[in-house]
Amino acid sequence: MKKIFSLLMICALFLITGCGGGSDNAAGKLSVMLGSNVVSLDSAKCTDPASFEVIADCIDGLIQLDADGKPIPAIAESFDVSADGKTYTFHLRDAKWSNGDPVTADDFVFAWRRHCQESDKYAYIMGNTVACVKNADAVTKGDDPTTLGVSAPDPKTFVVELDAPVSFFPSLMAFPTFYPINEKFFNGLDAGTYGTSPETFLSNGAFVLSDYLPGAANIQLKKNDGYWNAANVKLDEWQYQVVSSSDNALTAFKNGTLNVVDIGGSQIESVKSDTALVKDLQNIPSGSLYFISFNQDPKNHHAGALSNVNLRLAISNAIDRESLAANFVANGAKATYTAIPIHFAPNAKTGKYFAENQQQFAEYVGFNVDKARDYLNKAKAELGKDSFELEFIYANDSGNTVVKVAQAIKSQVEENLPGVVLNLQPMPKAEYLDRLTSDSFDLAINSWVPDYDDPMTFFTLWTTSGSEICEHWSNAAYDKIIADCTTGDLAADYDARWQAMYEAEKILLENAVIAPLYTGANATLIGSNVSGIEFHVAGVNRIFKSVTVK
Amino acid sequence: MTKYVAKRILMSVLTLLLITFVLFVLIRIMPGNPFPVERMTADMILQKRAELGLDKPILEQFVNYMSMLLSGSFGNGTSLYNGAPIKPIMLKCLETSFRIGVLSILFGTAVGLTIGITAALNRGKFLDGLCTVVSILGVCIPSYVFMIFLQYFLSYKIPLFPYFFDPSQFLNSSIMPSLSLSLFSISAVARFTRNEMIEVMNSDYVKLAEAKGLYGFELMRRHVLRNALIPVVTVIAPLVVDLLTGAMVIEKIYGINGVGSLMVNAIAGDGVDYNYVLALGIVFSALYIGVMLVLDILYGIIDPRISLAKEAG
Amino acid sequence: MYTPKDDDFDFLTDRDLSVDENFAAQGYWKGVAVHFVRNRLAVAGALIVCLVIVFAVLAPIVSPYSYDEIVSIQTTDGRQVIAKNLEPQLGAPAQVDDASANFADKTFVFGTDELGRDLWTRTWQGARVSLIIAFVAIFIDMVIGTSYGLVSGYFGGRVDNVMQRFIEIESSVPTLVIISILAIFMEKGIGLVIASLLLTEWIGMSKIARAECLKLKEREYVLASRTLGAGSFHIIFKQILPNTIGPIITQVMFSIPVAIFTEAFLSFVGVGIVLPQCSLGSLIEAGFNNITVLPYQILPPITVLALLMLGFNLVGDGFREALAPKLEDM
Repeated sequence: MKKIFSLLMICALFLITGCGGGSDNAAGKLSVMLGSNVVSLDSAKCTDPASFEVIADCIDGLIQLDADGKPIPAIAESFDVSADGKTYTFHLRDAKWSNGDPVTADDFVFAWRRHCQESDKYAYIMGNTVACVKNADAVTKGDDPTTLGVSAPDPKTFVVELDAPVSFFPSLMAFPTFYPINEKFFNGLDAGTYGTSPETFLSNGAFVLSDYLPGAANIQLKKNDGYWNAANVKLDEWQYQVVSSSDNALTAFKNGTLNVVDIGGSQIESVKSDTALVKDLQNIPSGSLYFISFNQDPKNHHAGALSNVNLRLAISNAIDRESLAANFVANGAKATYTAIPIHFAPNAKTGKYFAENQQQFAEYVGFNVDKARDYLNKAKAELGKDSFELEFIYANDSGNTVVKVAQAIKSQVEENLPGVVLNLQPMPKAEYLDRLTSDSFDLAINSWVPDYDDPMTFFTLWTTSGSEICEHWSNAAYDKIIADCTTGDLAADYDARWQAMYEAEKILLENAVIAPLYTGANATLIGSNVSGIEFHVAGVNRIFKSVTVK
Repeated sequence: MTKYVAKRILMSVLTLLLITFVLFVLIRIMPGNPFPVERMTADMILQKRAELGLDKPILEQFVNYMSMLLSGSFGNGTSLYNGAPIKPIMLKCLETSFRIGVLSILFGTAVGLTIGITAALNRGKFLDGLCTVVSILGVCIPSYVFMIFLQYFLSYKIPLFPYFFDPSQFLNSSIMPSLSLSLFSISAVARFTRNEMIEVMNSDYVKLAEAKGLYGFELMRRHVLRNALIPVVTVIAPLVVDLLTGAMVIEKIYGINGVGSLMVNAIAGDGVDYNYVLALGIVFSALYIGVMLVLDILYGIIDPRISLAKEAG
Repeated sequence: MYTPKDDDFDFLTDRDLSVDENFAAQGYWKGVAVHFVRNRLAVAGALIVCLVIVFAVLAPIVSPYSYDEIVSIQTTDGRQVIAKNLEPQLGAPAQVDDASANFADKTFVFGTDELGRDLWTRTWQGARVSLIIAFVAIFIDMVIGTSYGLVSGYFGGRVDNVMQRFIEIESSVPTLVIISILAIFMEKGIGLVIASLLLTEWIGMSKIARAECLKLKEREYVLASRTLGAGSFHIIFKQILPNTIGPIITQVMFSIPVAIFTEAFLSFVGVGIVLPQCSLGSLIEAGFNNITVLPYQILPPITVLALLMLGFNLVGDGFREALAPKLEDM
């Protein structure tokens, strides 16, 4: 017994000596909530909004976006476009990495080539559906990376050749996968260690990491004094805190531990009844689209009932999206009747959002129980079946909201469509993605966050060769429009391209390939002493460069 | 005795090897890909599998893995944290979880034993009833709900402790999570101690010792506690492993970068990271086997009636 | 031959002496029952458990709402209003605010949840599911775990070695891995939950049984049995098992909430019971998301769980003492 106790004593001693001193958060320090862990700080490997945000705090790309989402210079002081819109020449300013090295065009060449070779989920963004960088798709498939259409004629000039003109190319440069990586520094590290600690990560942007570990719940940043625009950065030290529960976030905000938090439905109601707090509440549109994917594979285990267009239309018309958004999501999300979310992709000429007119496709997407039942009866007649038992999957870890939405949809569809039964199947995200790619589901709640401010970020999801998470649907006319708009004839003609995309959207919705549900939003509490956070719907969602804390 | 211990250790190593193989096979049949598959085409997925060597026969994969393990490395992740080497990340998380775990075991055992012994000595009286209710409530309230209560009262209402885990003030920010984690062990230890004590106090040899004039502390120490503690140790041992290997929900609520959340991230992230799950599984097993080994040997020390030599034969 | 008479002996004093009474021989189980009923706390515990079971069986049937029904009404302008997040109310509440005005005439004993479902119905429905899961899983665990531990502990040596190594292997595979793999072969739902509890929970039980057995097998009465020629099977299950009942019942009491929470954890990661089904664990989990703003949502399931546990523990204690009456002599 004595031995055990002395062992315990040693342990206790180890604990006490193991703790150091520390101070509470100083008043006026910015503490921002992150909804999920940062997956990776390697711009070629990361796939999630949280990672994009932290990378953008630390690294500047060629171009950055201003508060209104307009491209403005960052590392590139200026750029020239060739007459055919296929060659961009960026002129870099004298910027420095945080180890003192100058930022050169070669850093971009290195990062872009590496990105094509290494990236999994985001390899497509260099390729011919988005940026159209010359030979990007071939390099991704294993070609010699030096054939990629990028070059550095001198350290301050970076030239990109494209396969087709891309109207939104400058604003695309603000996306983290186009950011530079210091080649010399990278090659000096052990394989795979880049971006796993403050020591293995270099900044050329507004902030440097002062404390970070992979998967850390707390990330500390401080001002980068060598930043080219350091004079305009007001924050000296600030931090991110990963908080998973909305209830917890609200208490931490009231407590003063956090100054910027996102909260969910029930917490919003409580804040709205609190006059002291309600003035800090802001509704930030997020540009993410939540939709139902239908699996149209005729070989799937329910004998392909969903390959019948009328059944899909019936389900889509049996969902009360207004009630869904107002009652169950309840964080400012908006019911959506188009394949493109609201508040997203403004037309460069008219300034109107692409999906401004929500009634445009009311014929196919809406809430009309009678119409839904007509479709259902047609489907029953065509399929010769009276009842449909369908498997409805969703990723459980995408949060409490999706869980509520799934249950509400089940309740609405089953009530409005006699004979249709939806079996809810929540599952971990890895399994969910696996089921989506292997087509082993009937319906799935899906969501997509736009990577860049153009409707194409959504439309390419549904092409035949698009992503594997797509819904086993193939339509030659649709594919042709998308190909024309990305690399074909329409790429250079802004208005015609815009019109063609509406055509594509019509094909998508009249076939009920998806049933759009709602455009996501964030209900954000921002401390009254914090100002200057820039919110964007696409790419990097929050920019903290010009934040001031009183 | 020495021979027995040596034999047990050898057995443990063999078991660990077997476990590694079983885990290796099981993890490969888990649903989900070892990398995030959104926006990847079927070709890319195949290419990626080949890159990771997942297209080779499983035995060959296992031999490769074992040779890597023997060279002292756990390899690199497949999807989590952009394929960084696993060892440093895992060690960092283990350290954090260990410290909190040890603290909560200390709490749990000390408080649990006190409650249990008090209850047994006051059997049938008010104190006994109070202890019973406390220990029952302890099991009913999930530790994460208790954690939220603590967070709400001890750092929101009365700001005694930091609201989120802060590694720079370790002890201060470990108190609430380890308190909530120890809730279950307090209850378990208290209940088992009480029942065992009562049984032992009632046994003939204690009555004999009492009749011989032994009483008070000496009687407790030499006869009652010694015998009552065997099953209690059995209860504590697996709890130790549980506590050391982290608590996912509490880690999440309080923002602790520990092994519990590492495991969940590895399994339920965008992709299943085979290598992380495997590495963590092996470490957890090694811990478990180690604790059981110590436990078996401890049995012999606490209870001389269990003769290890005979068992070994 | 002298026959003794009553007045042969006189009491020295007028002291009222109690006279030994003779009891008719009782059956073992009758004795247990008598002991149990005499224990007031145990009876109270049994009452609580019965009450919860009665509510769990009847309340969802009697309730005007079904457990998965989203209570809503259509307003005159055609909007759908949902009775979500209503505090507990009985008929017409005293002060009617705007949000709940439409449902003023309705009774929600425990209030409604975030989706506008009646928490009273859901709590008892959840208690039903949790009771089924806990009972089935724990009963089988007890049978498997106890036999395994007793056999392993009794035979010792090589048998014990092999059996313990098997346990080490089994308990080394992380629960999440076991469950994800099980989920490939089984339909999600109660069956899967029970199966995964079976695979993980019996180990604790067997550890306790083994430790007890190690302690008991060296005892005199076991030795005596063996000397008299009793078989191993007889000794394990007739001699040792009844004496291990105390710690095993205690372990069962701990396994029940663990089973209920494991189930909640499984729903949390997406492999538990299938929504909109609910269990006490998943209700606690759901209430936990709003614990500071809507505390009334987590109170009913936690209270029911605590009552159940209190009841089970009291009953368990009663049984333990009734089965091993020597404890009563203290």
